[in-house]
Formats: sequence, C-alpha cells, structure tokens
Amino acid sequence: MKITPAIRKDKKPLRAVLIARAFFFTFGAILLFVSNVLLTRNVHASQSYQAGVTQTPIPSPTPTFDIQRLASPAVAEIPTQADEGALIFWGVCIACHGDRGQGLTDEWRIGAYDADNNCWESGCHGKDHPDQGFELPKTLTFPPVGTASALGRFENAQQLYDYVVVMMPWWKPRSLTPEKAWQLTAYILKMKGSLPEGMELEQTNASAVPVHRNIKVPKNPNITIFIFTGILALAMFGLITRDLPERVEQIPVDLKTGKVIRPNFFSHLHPPTIPADQSRWRYTLGAGGMAVFLSLILLITGLLEMFYYIPTPEKAAISVETIVSFVPLGAFIRNLHYWSAQILVVVALIHLARVIFTGAYGAQRKFNFLLGLILLVFIVLLDFTGYVLRWDEGIRWALTAGTNLLKSIPLIGNELYIFVVGGREPGPAALIRFYSWHIYLLSLAAGFFIVWHLFRVRRDGGIAAAPGRENKTRITRADLLKREVLGMVIGSIVLMIVSALVPAPIAPPIRGDTLLDADSSAPWFFLWVQQLLKSGDPFLLGVVFPLLVVIFIGAMPYLFKDVEPGELGHWFPRSGSIVQLLFIIIAVTILALTMLSMINSL
Amino acid sequence: MTKPSRREFLRLATNTLLGLTGAIGLGGLIHFLSYEMDPAPPSQYDLGSAGDYPRGLNTLLLHIPAVLIRTDDGFIALSLVCTHLGCTVEYKDGGYECPCHGSKYDGKGLVTRGPSSTPLKRLRVEVNEAGNVILYMEPI
Repeated sequence: MKITPAIRKDKKPLRAVLIARAFFFTFGAILLFVSNVLLTRNVHASQSYQAGVTQTPIPSPTPTFDIQRLASPAVAEIPTQADEGALIFWGVCIACHGDRGQGLTDEWRIGAYDADNNCWESGCHGKDHPDQGFELPKTLTFPPVGTASALGRFENAQQLYDYVVVMMPWWKPRSLTPEKAWQLTAYILKMKGSLPEGMELEQTNASAVPVHRNIKVPKNPNITIFIFTGILALAMFGLITRDLPERVEQIPVDLKTGKVIRPNFFSHLHPPTIPADQSRWRYTLGAGGMAVFLSLILLITGLLEMFYYIPTPEKAAISVETIVSFVPLGAFIRNLHYWSAQILVVVALIHLARVIFTGAYGAQRKFNFLLGLILLVFIVLLDFTGYVLRWDEGIRWALTAGTNLLKSIPLIGNELYIFVVGGREPGPAALIRFYSWHIYLLSLAAGFFIVWHLFRVRRDGGIAAAPGRENKTRITRADLLKREVLGMVIGSIVLMIVSALVPAPIAPPIRGDTLLDADSSAPWFFLWVQQLLKSGDPFLLGVVFPLLVVIFIGAMPYLFKDVEPGELGHWFPRSGSIVQLLFIIIAVTILALTMLSMINSL
Repeated sequence: MTKPSRREFLRLATNTLLGLTGAIGLGGLIHFLSYEMDPAPPSQYDLGSAGDYPRGLNTLLLHIPAVLIRTDDGFIALSLVCTHLGCTVEYKDGGYECPCHGSKYDGKGLVTRGPSSTPLKRLRVEVNEAGNVILYMEPI
C-alpha cells in the first residue's frame, strides 16, 4: 500500500503506517463522521460530500477491481430519501456489506482492501488494533443486504428499520438518528428493487411496504379530482339556468275510486309543493339536508373502504396504511370518509342549534326533536367506533380510557365493559366488535332513525313556519329538488377539495414492545369530556354528566312552554328565550372545556 | 338542422357535463377497486437437499400442493390441484382422487375417470448447484 506524503512526513514512520492502514481499512467509519458533520451542516450537501471525497485517499486497486466502485455515489440535485441513504451506506455500511449490498464477499474484500483484506488479522481489526480500529470477532457474519434473496427475516420496511436503528452499525449500534435509519432503509430496499418509486418511508407507511415485493405507488390523483370538481361546478351552473316546469304536479288520485292515493315515503320527502317559507336557506341553513347528504357519502365511502380494511389487530393499521399509500384513490376515499364524518358532527350540531334558536322544537315536533337527538348520539358513537378502527398508536389511549369509563358505572360496569370489549382488555374481540357496531348495527340503527326523522318532518306539517303565511307562496317539487341538488353539488365540491388536500390522521401501528409519544387526546368531539375527567370522579364526570346534558336538552321542549305559534318561522322568538339561553349556556360550557383541553395539550 | 336555441344549448352542455362527471366517477371507482391486496403465492419452492429424497419414492408436499417423484432419471413433480375445479386431490391406491367431484388420475397424473378431462399439471423441477431441489410453479 502506498503511503500518502502527508503521513510520510510524520516523525514516527512505523506508527504512521499503522495509522494509515487503520485509516484506509476503516475509512467507512471515518466517512460516517465526515458525513455526519456535513449532513448536520447542510441537508442538500451533495457538493460538500464530493469535497469530502477528494480529501479521502482511496486504496490502490487490484487490476480486476474497478476503482470507481469505491467512489461516492452520484446524487441528484434534490436528493431523494434513498439518495441520502446511499451516501450513508457508502460512508458507514459499505465496508462490511459491500458496494452493491453483496455482503463481505471475497471479491469485495480483496478488491477493496488489497493487502489488508484479511480483516480479522490485519492491524485495524486484529487484537492489537489502534485507537481508531476495533476488534472483529471471527464469528461475525457480514450478510448481503441488497441482493434479491437477502433480508429473508424481514417482512416489511418497518421491521427492517427497527433492526437497523437498534443494531447497526455493528461497532456503534443506535448511533443512527431515526431520519438516517429511514434513509438507509429506503436505500437498502432500492438496492433490492422493492422500494416503491417516489415513496418517502416513515412510521406511518413503512409497515405496508413489503421487503420482498415491489408495489407501485399510484399516481397522485389530485389533478383528476380537481378537473372532476371543475366539471361538476360547470354542470351546476347549467343546472341553475335550467327553467323549472310551470305546472304544479297534482296530488295523485286513483282514477277508479277518485280517492287520493296514500303518498309513499318518497312523496313525503318531496310533496308536489311545499311552502316557500320552509325552504329558505337563511332560515333552515340547509343543515338537515346537508346531514342526509353527508350520511350518504359516508355510506358509500365506508362501503368502499370495507373492500380493503382488515379488522384484525395485526393487520388493521397496516391495511389502513395500504389504503392510504397504495390503493389507487385510497387516500382520497379515506379522507372523504373522515372529513364527511367530522363535518357531519358539526352540521348536526348546527341543525340542533337552528331548531332551538327558531323555536321549532315545540308542540307536535317534540317527539321528532327527541329522534334528532338520538341520531346525534348515534353519530357520535359511529364516529368513535370508526376512530377506533384505525387501531394505531393514535387511538390507543382514547380506546383504553373510553372503555375503562364503562367500568366506573356501578353494578353493571364490569359486565358492560366485557360486553363492549369482549374480554378483560382490548384485543381481537374488541376490534371485531367495534367493527360490527360501526359497519352494521349502529349504521343500520342510524339509517332507521334518519328515515323516521325525515318522515316525521312531513307528518308534523313540514318545517316549522308561521301559520298564517303557510299558503301564500309555495315552491314545486322540482324547485325543492333543484335546491337540494345545488346544496349537494356545492357540498361535494368543498368536500372533494378538502379531501384532496388535507389528509386524515394516521399513526404508527400499535406495538406491544414500544411506547411512542403518541397522541393521547380524545377525538375532538369528546375533548370536553376528557377535560372534565381531569378534575375528578370518572363516573360522575365522564358518564353521568354528559348523559345529563343530553337528557336535559331532550327534555327542554317538555319542561318549558312552546314558542307562540305567531312567532314561528323566525330566528330567536322571544317566547323561547329561556330555552335559547339555557342552550347557549350548555354550548358555551362545552366549547370552553374543549378549548381548555386543546390549550392544555399544546 | 336548425341552429339550437340558447336554452337547448345550455341543456345539452349541462347534460354532457353531468354525463362526463358520471363517467369519470365510474372510472375512479373501477380504478379504486382494481388494487390487488394480497401478494401472489410464491413462484418457486426450495425443497431441501436432493439426497433427502430416496429413489422410487413419492413425496406428498401438501403445502404447495404437489407430489415429488424421484425416478432413476431424476425428479418429476406433479401439481396436486385437480384440473377440474381446483380442489387438492388425495393419494389413493397408486393414483389420485379428487374429493370434490370424484375425478381420478393414475400415478402419472393421467385422467382415469371424469369429470376432469386434462391430466394433472407437471411442474418444472431442478436441482441447483448447492444440491437443493427447486420446484417452480410453472408447467413444463
């Protein structure tokens, strides 16, 4: 081996030779240090890397060995995750695992290290190694990592990452930061040919990336989605300009008997005419109709998600990752489902507030008010069960706390817990039960109550309006339908743009052996309960109090006087001011608790 | 053809746009449902050292499912998937019988009784440099 002039000038040549050999032999280790320094200095440091290379002497090659194999890998202007990994691999791993991830083959060992190729005996890794070196035990294997048959023990990128971050590099385990370990994982998969192109590995998608199989990442569908919404918006303009039939459809009459045909459910939804007062946006806010529309979107997107979701503890979170990362339009469908569910809670609350603040809960509508409130409870339960189905670190504590709340109920608490969870702690039984409740029982019940609620609206004389004006102007069925379609189209456009741009939350899969600093907050609509629970008894504050709030709101129409009929059809009727005030107090309290909880978790 | 009125044109344009959204939506739906969730089964199996399989003996490999026959000339592999409707055939009296619809094959995989009409598939099998038997899931 040639000795560089710099070292030849040293006063103790023998020691200098030893150090030089150690330097060459462990140049990977030293380059790790160099790249560490450079990486922290500059993320886009491809040029700095090159500068580092020129200062690093390269061992003289054997005649058959292409010296270029020792050169730093070429990196794009804006390096990908795998590019960064390639540089780390070159600096840290290449010494033992080879330039192509072939492992410490004889060809590589002899080619790259020339005279020093007996790694276990030579100065740097022998018994009498210098300070920069370290002893290599003979039992150590240097397995290939980049070949097709390598890494047999790892199933997915997450498992590979877990090994790399804890075990590598051999002489200094745990010295790679998570970011670098991800970059390395990406590069190793790229060498193997199983890195999905264009994918950035991270904790929330790596479990879905197989080590031994290449999956294609679908193209970003956003452009198509925006074109779709654009066409829909144009079509909506066309619909607005469309003239409505002048003729008012007659109430259907049986020609033989001359009797009025009993109207079916759909003619209850859309009678030939309804009073114009009942369909003013300013009055109804369109909230009830929007809730029905969102329920339909939830039904469709939920059914689609069921094609790919796997309700077992081992697979649930991974199948969600697969939907998000690999299923074409999967992330979009999931985001639609998520955002519809969140908006539905808000829209239902707006609908409730509208009914309270227009005094529309009285007289014959008392019962339908209760039906609506039951629907709200169903919506919240559906949201919570759906949230749990992610089965990842993000829901872990909400599930634990939420179900343990049941145990606090006196007498029946433990039995109720076992009924809901299916055992002493959440496991496979809990997941399949939440799944059944979410996709079947609660959905079916909610569907039944939606139909009943809508039917009662007509049965109770339509949406509450002032009696005297009822017959003045009426709008036709076609007009009503047109308004509903417009609301739906506008809703669709907003929903699609939000879903294309804002991803639904996701967290790493639950693992028994680690505790991540996962989000420990409840879903947002339960934050007020979580805040209450911080101050004391779980049964009183977490069960009794929220139930009392719902029961009290449901009882208000029965406890207080109806709004004067003459005042119906207007916002804030005076005769309903007590109910309005009480509702405001409840709403402000819940809102304040929610905000307090949000501030606390910041 | 007369020039369409403004109203007719708008109606036509709106309907076209609505049709287009329907077509794109349907395309998206098909695209979404086209994803293959489960990995394909392995295309080859390493059956271990060739020396472990004595001459003249048939070895049933039910996890594949296939039967490995060592003749004097080398290895022959037959798929045990019934060519009728895919049930796994059972070894019986030197031949194979399908439990589902009663198809029968002889020891070489030829049909001796219907409903099946094609013989059991012969699979490619090789011994590699390391002396291991490699079974490829592809017909010869």
